[in-house]
Amino acid sequence: MEELSGWGDDFFWGSVVVAQVFIVSLFLMVLFGLIGAGAKLSKNRIANNIAAAYTVIFRGVPEILVLLLLYFGAAIALTNIVQIFDPNIKFLDIPPFWVGSFGIALVVGAYATETFRGAFLGVDPGQIEAARALGISSFKTFIYIQIPEMWRLALPAFGNHMLSLIKDTALISIIGLNETLFVAEQATATTGKPFTMFIVVGLIYLSFSTIITLTVMGLEKYANKHLEHGR
Amino acid sequence: MTINEGQPIIVLENVAKFFGKFQALKNINLTVAKGEKVVVCGPSGSGKSTMIRCINRLEEHNSGRIIVNGNELTESEKDIDAVRREVGMVFQSFNLFPHLKVVDNLMLAPRLVRNTPKPEAREIAMKFLTRVRIADQADKYPAQLSGGQQQRVAIARALCMNPEIMLFDEPTSALDPEMISEVLDVMTDLAEEGMTMIVVTHEMGFARSVADKVVFMDQGEIVEMNPPVEFFESPKSERTRLFLSQILTH
Amino acid sequence: MIVDFSLIIDSIPKMLTGLSLTLQLLFVSAFLGTILAIILLLMRISGRWYLQWPAVVYIYIFRGTPILVQIFIIYHGLPQFEFIRTSIFWPILREPYGCAILALSLNTGAYVSEILRGGILGVPRGLHEAGSALGLSVRQRFIYITTPIAVRLAIPAYSNDIVSLMKATALASTITLLDMMGIARTIVADTFAPYEVFISLAVIYMILTLIIQKSFGWFERYMSRYLKKEA
Repeated sequence: MEELSGWGDDFFWGSVVVAQVFIVSLFLMVLFGLIGAGAKLSKNRIANNIAAAYTVIFRGVPEILVLLLLYFGAAIALTNIVQIFDPNIKFLDIPPFWVGSFGIALVVGAYATETFRGAFLGVDPGQIEAARALGISSFKTFIYIQIPEMWRLALPAFGNHMLSLIKDTALISIIGLNETLFVAEQATATTGKPFTMFIVVGLIYLSFSTIITLTVMGLEKYANKHLEHGR
Repeated sequence: MTINEGQPIIVLENVAKFFGKFQALKNINLTVAKGEKVVVCGPSGSGKSTMIRCINRLEEHNSGRIIVNGNELTESEKDIDAVRREVGMVFQSFNLFPHLKVVDNLMLAPRLVRNTPKPEAREIAMKFLTRVRIADQADKYPAQLSGGQQQRVAIARALCMNPEIMLFDEPTSALDPEMISEVLDVMTDLAEEGMTMIVVTHEMGFARSVADKVVFMDQGEIVEMNPPVEFFESPKSERTRLFLSQILTH
Repeated sequence: MIVDFSLIIDSIPKMLTGLSLTLQLLFVSAFLGTILAIILLLMRISGRWYLQWPAVVYIYIFRGTPILVQIFIIYHGLPQFEFIRTSIFWPILREPYGCAILALSLNTGAYVSEILRGGILGVPRGLHEAGSALGLSVRQRFIYITTPIAVRLAIPAYSNDIVSLMKATALASTITLLDMMGIARTIVADTFAPYEVFISLAVIYMILTLIIQKSFGWFERYMSRYLKKEA
């Protein structure tokens, strides 16, 4: 393991980047998922169709293709725009961090759309009726009855979405993000020990996955506490 | 608005209700006086549940008039919520909120709808839990209770809003036989206290002892409506006789 | 922005020359991965700890790390060891093709194993009891009762996993393979026209996804034929 000496720092900062991408993309993924589910459930035909296209496209196309398209596509589009103001600029570099976070959130958000939609429909209509029969308004019924039930139903699949996100961060190295896989490639070039370096990356990801899995398990236990048969 | 004993508190006039092309209710006329107890029975699919669900507008009627406690049921959301506050409902499948403890199930509506402060809401909740003899279960979750206990909680939850009227939609049909009487006992207590009640049930013993009148429905119509003694001893319609023979023999 | 249609018309046939490689990666890995999944499943339900634990750990590792890292460990990492370069497996592991198949099979085996397990857990308990009451042995119950029902229950998730596998084959382009994704990347590197090329490729992948989903949908209806009510 002595070949790792000198690379510890780089792997640490690479892991920090992974964590940052994860947090940004998690936020975006929830946003896209909620908007998508709302659009799918709405009575507006146009919203239905847009949401349907969104889920079909991003669940049917490889993540790496989405990332490359966004990265190069955004670079070209922005370069074109900037050249209007300053023709001397030849190529504009896009930060892979933001393109990458946005891209993987877009993909996983398509899966989350279905999860949130299913959870919303999974709430027992009797609950909603009971609340309405008590004279509770539909808005308050949504906040106090539907949301608490929904998140319990959505949690297991949502945990899988979080695992997808953390694993998809590795793909962002392809568009040049300086995260752990990128570090491993650099380290391999100097040390000639690829196996060691990539195994380290694997262990880092396994730790992240473990943290997420344990967190979701804890949340599920909390969310399901009312279903336990106590005495 | 105050209504004296004996005056109508619920009026249904020529009410009809369609689900698509299927007519679930045909020309329903029913008047319930304050304090009156009405038992509704009939074969499944006869429209009895639909009828009481129209009274608090969980279903919208298509024609005719429904007047509850002086308010006519119309499109207006505001009026509906006003009516619903006066009308408590108990469901066949309890419909307790599974993520809330028993006491929180009871406190939710007073807090959200009447803005009752928390300590006061809790006091009200405990009062009604005591009345349905289940105060010791206040801090459990619904899933931890038996069916009979859950249904008593559901009754207490409705009572917390101090309703003028209570609707019961087959409150005992999802229960194991040994739990039916604990729920019927609570309902009998409630009847003795003078609550206006409409009960959809096949518990004919309850109908005999508690009801002021029994309504028999079939195919979306009210076929017969009489005080229990008359209803059970000398049913007028052939359909009623057939129904009674089926339900009383097994 | 001007869309270069001649480029689209040019590049689609070029990318389709990679279709056969994409499909090979998909079918061979799906086949090997499913066999692996069945072995892992039998280990998990064997009731013997020395079989259960290795299967659980295997599944945990392969589901907890990114497929891209697994590909890199096998392709870049394994040649670090002398004993691998002299082993009989070297002809396979030397080639990116062999490495891609190996990585995709190992990865998908872990996922499919969990899917099959979900199917088995979904078989109602009462059916086991009915089987034993009729005097069927454990083995007979597994073959004649559990398996057919579990397969039907597992089809939707299995179908999703095959789509994921198809999307993952695009990562073979990161280890120099010229599947459809690899060819698209070389075209973009030459022409620098990411929109035309990548969007055309996205459409091709979506068609493949659709075909996979339709086929499994048909298979599921076939397996569920006994659930249909008589008309």
